[in-house]
Amino acid sequence: MINISQSILVITLLSVLLSLGSTRLTSLVKIMALQGVMVSLTPLFLKDHGSFGSGAIIFFQIMILIKGLLIPGLLYMAVKRIAIKRDIEPFIGYHASILSGLAIILVSVFITNSLRLTLPAGHDIVLITAITTMASGFFLMMARSKAITQVIGYLMLENGIYLIGTALTKHSHTLYVVEFGVLLDLLVGVMIMGIILHNINSAFDDVDTTLLGRLKD
Amino acid sequence: METFIPLAIAILAAPLFPGIILKVKAFFAGKNGPPLLIKYYTLIKLLKKGSVYSNSTTFVFKLGPIVSFASAFIVLLFFPFAGGSPLFSFHGDVIALFYLMGIGRFFTVAAALDTASPFEGMGAAREVFFSTLAEVTIFTVLVLFYRLTGSLSFAEYFTGENPISLLSASGALLLFVIVALFMVMLTENSRVPVDDPATHLELTMIHEVMVLDHSGPDLALIELGSFYKLFFYAAFITHILYPFTAASSLVNGLIFYALLSLIYVAIGITESIMARFKMDLVPKFILTSFALVFFAAILTMGVLQ
Amino acid sequence: MIEFIFMLPLATGLTALALPASLGRIMLLITALLHFQLTIMSWMGKLTPAFAKYFSASPEGLLILMVTSFIFVCISLYAFSYMEETEMENKPVFICCMLLFLGTMSMVTLSDHPIVLWIAIEATTLVSAPLIFIHRSKEALEATWKYVLICSVGIALALLGCFFITMAMELGNINAPLTFTSLNTVATQLDPLWLKVGFIFVVIGFGTKMGLAPMHTWLPDAHSQAPSPASALLSGALLNCAFLGIYKTHVLMNVAGLGEFSGNVLIGFGLLSMLVGAIFIIGQPDYKRMLAYSSIKNMGIIAFGVGIGGFAVYGAFLHIIHHSLLKSSLFLSAGNILLGFGTKQVQRIGGIIGFMPKTFISLFAGFIGIVGLPPFGMFISEVVIIIGAFQEHRYICIGIFLFALTLVAAGTGRIFMSMCYGETTEKFQVKEKTLRLLPPYALILASVGLCIWMPDVVYETILHSIKMIGGTIHG
Repeated sequence: MINISQSILVITLLSVLLSLGSTRLTSLVKIMALQGVMVSLTPLFLKDHGSFGSGAIIFFQIMILIKGLLIPGLLYMAVKRIAIKRDIEPFIGYHASILSGLAIILVSVFITNSLRLTLPAGHDIVLITAITTMASGFFLMMARSKAITQVIGYLMLENGIYLIGTALTKHSHTLYVVEFGVLLDLLVGVMIMGIILHNINSAFDDVDTTLLGRLKD
Repeated sequence: METFIPLAIAILAAPLFPGIILKVKAFFAGKNGPPLLIKYYTLIKLLKKGSVYSNSTTFVFKLGPIVSFASAFIVLLFFPFAGGSPLFSFHGDVIALFYLMGIGRFFTVAAALDTASPFEGMGAAREVFFSTLAEVTIFTVLVLFYRLTGSLSFAEYFTGENPISLLSASGALLLFVIVALFMVMLTENSRVPVDDPATHLELTMIHEVMVLDHSGPDLALIELGSFYKLFFYAAFITHILYPFTAASSLVNGLIFYALLSLIYVAIGITESIMARFKMDLVPKFILTSFALVFFAAILTMGVLQ
Repeated sequence: MIEFIFMLPLATGLTALALPASLGRIMLLITALLHFQLTIMSWMGKLTPAFAKYFSASPEGLLILMVTSFIFVCISLYAFSYMEETEMENKPVFICCMLLFLGTMSMVTLSDHPIVLWIAIEATTLVSAPLIFIHRSKEALEATWKYVLICSVGIALALLGCFFITMAMELGNINAPLTFTSLNTVATQLDPLWLKVGFIFVVIGFGTKMGLAPMHTWLPDAHSQAPSPASALLSGALLNCAFLGIYKTHVLMNVAGLGEFSGNVLIGFGLLSMLVGAIFIIGQPDYKRMLAYSSIKNMGIIAFGVGIGGFAVYGAFLHIIHHSLLKSSLFLSAGNILLGFGTKQVQRIGGIIGFMPKTFISLFAGFIGIVGLPPFGMFISEVVIIIGAFQEHRYICIGIFLFALTLVAAGTGRIFMSMCYGETTEKFQVKEKTLRLLPPYALILASVGLCIWMPDVVYETILHSIKMIGGTIHG
């Protein structure tokens, strides 16, 4: 049968690539929702099904809820309220962004291969996906001028780190309580960023980070 | 017979499926829409008419529709519909066929230029530009498939020893290819969001503007050729989705046409929910499809050594 | 139950949201005192962790908890008066965030699980962000945005570092709970490569929060734009908490036998931070920014001291204590000046000695202390670090260290002199008030007091903290 965990990772990569090329903020948010769901599903299909307790199932449900629904919902509201539709003048253009995406995946395959880790079978594609997601998150933060895209970049970075966590570590070490704390931090972080965004928008009439240049030495 | 029947069905059924797209679009618009067989009626109507030729045109203009139809038709002869063996097949036929379609396009473009209408020249320039970009994607797909199967013919791809399909071991990567091919299909066949076949303004057209001066049987040939081309791409994607190796040819055929209809429905949905791109965003769209295949190609090198 | 120490401020903080500001201020003060009491109880060993999987009372944590708690008492006293005299749109939010900030910082000091530590440090970022933009000026918004984004991204890398450490555990086939305490017992079995990678990410991540150059860019903005009590907390308490994350990992590296590697990394970041701090202090037109850069420099000194090892670690811990006391005192004095003159520009301020004689005393004492002159504790700690570095034969590092100190002394001195004795055209706005003068005095006196007589228990705790990485006082 079709390899589900691989498909999920491929969809994650797909979302990374689409997010690099997407011009509209609403579609970017939707892509992030998809990515959130895929990233939360990964550990479920990566491990043996038998090893999950009921606590784990509930945890993953909450995680999908937060990453797939709550955070994108908050972002969507922010986009709507700020009433900006697209990042018109990115620092790095969309064609160049997509090509950078290609370069990023090349590098992450190279890194993964050169690490020569003794990963369990099928986990090296997780590592590739994770590194690509992280690097693309960084790239989005640097390449776009709107503050909201930077938040999205941060989320992608976080998704990538989470994937690395699932790829490299066994769940026996990290307890769900702890992971839940990480998730809560992320959620509150996005909420606070949303509030600041709203304030920036009302103070500057825009959320362009190039306007934020008042403080310097 | 095993070879001829699927081919004959395919050739006869190809004009049916664009009707499905129209139905889906009508459904989304809350209308009844034209009958399913509308394209057959259109073809018959066109074939009954005579052709009108401008004084300024030469034989090139008359050659355009015939060559473009013939190239699309020949491609179908090489394709293993529903897992049956194709009429012709040789090692490397995929490359020949994609360039054959290139010849078809060349003659369409030449015919368009022959009319000396400024609009047609503009459309020709756009068409050539976008399909040049799409060619990169297609050939990356072929390279990828060569890596997976070690062959360069449709028959080998889909009916060979380890057929390419989503359900195989490295199948997940083909998700990239499917999405990319879908994007290429929309581009090559002038569908929304790249081109809008229903537009009324020459300035915004890409493909349609090139065939504005054709009429009667010529137009019928062009239409039929475009149906075959779309059918070919849709069948290509269908074969990646599902391997037609195991069951009897009848079951295979049913599954094949069911999946094929789904792809046409997907096109219809895409056309209903998306607006067409601004012209300058089209290259980005095609570039994205290339990037997707490139991802898949890199992953095969990285993971599946 | 030692968890009360952070649960108490978290609970009262959330309650404060519902209370009117007048009641909330009293609550702030009461919570601060109760927190101090709980801290003392935990020092006496009366409190034991209930969730030993996540929390424990480590000596270095207790030390920083005590500093934080003491500073918070002083700052809450100051804030009590400060809030009356400044216009603030949403006072309950300010009180709530101050308390939550205290709670999350206490959580940092007590956590033993690396990821719980990470959660707590990220939480400090989130709850302190509203403190910075409480005035809602454009500059404050910009500072907050940079603070939240840079710190969040930085700290995300620290999470990656934590994962790598977990990975090092896995490669070493260790089946132990993931806490610093238990990791230290099995450290030698950890995979060294991944431990190193993890350490680098942790240093970059928490170093962003601690203000180590070159990840410090948010710090001057945030510290200069936050209201003064919040600046004092950020500088005096938060930076230490971030340092704790690095220190715990450094200890782990030492026990695993990679102390030289991690020490060198810390020395490098430390010296760079000192130089960056020193260079930007010279000619700094904004006195709160000047103090912020001084914090960067001092964090550099601490990282340097810890990186050198041996005797210098003792100096570094002394430096943590005294820097916190003096720097928060200075930020509170700066708050008084800001209230009095209504500007942060050094050029437009002058004659503090005439206008605000009482503030002048705390400001001048703080200045003497921060440039490292006796009788204040930073003199001792810096001398100890230098002696420690001599013992380790790091002569080039000592050269850079002394060069940076000289630059800082010159730069700070010029600014203080022009502020205290120079001319001004500004109109004087708000009078000095005892309630706003006592806290800076108290903090400075505490620093002097600790120089003259250090309680044995403090001394013992420092020795316990540095024992793991071979820090001693018998060179």
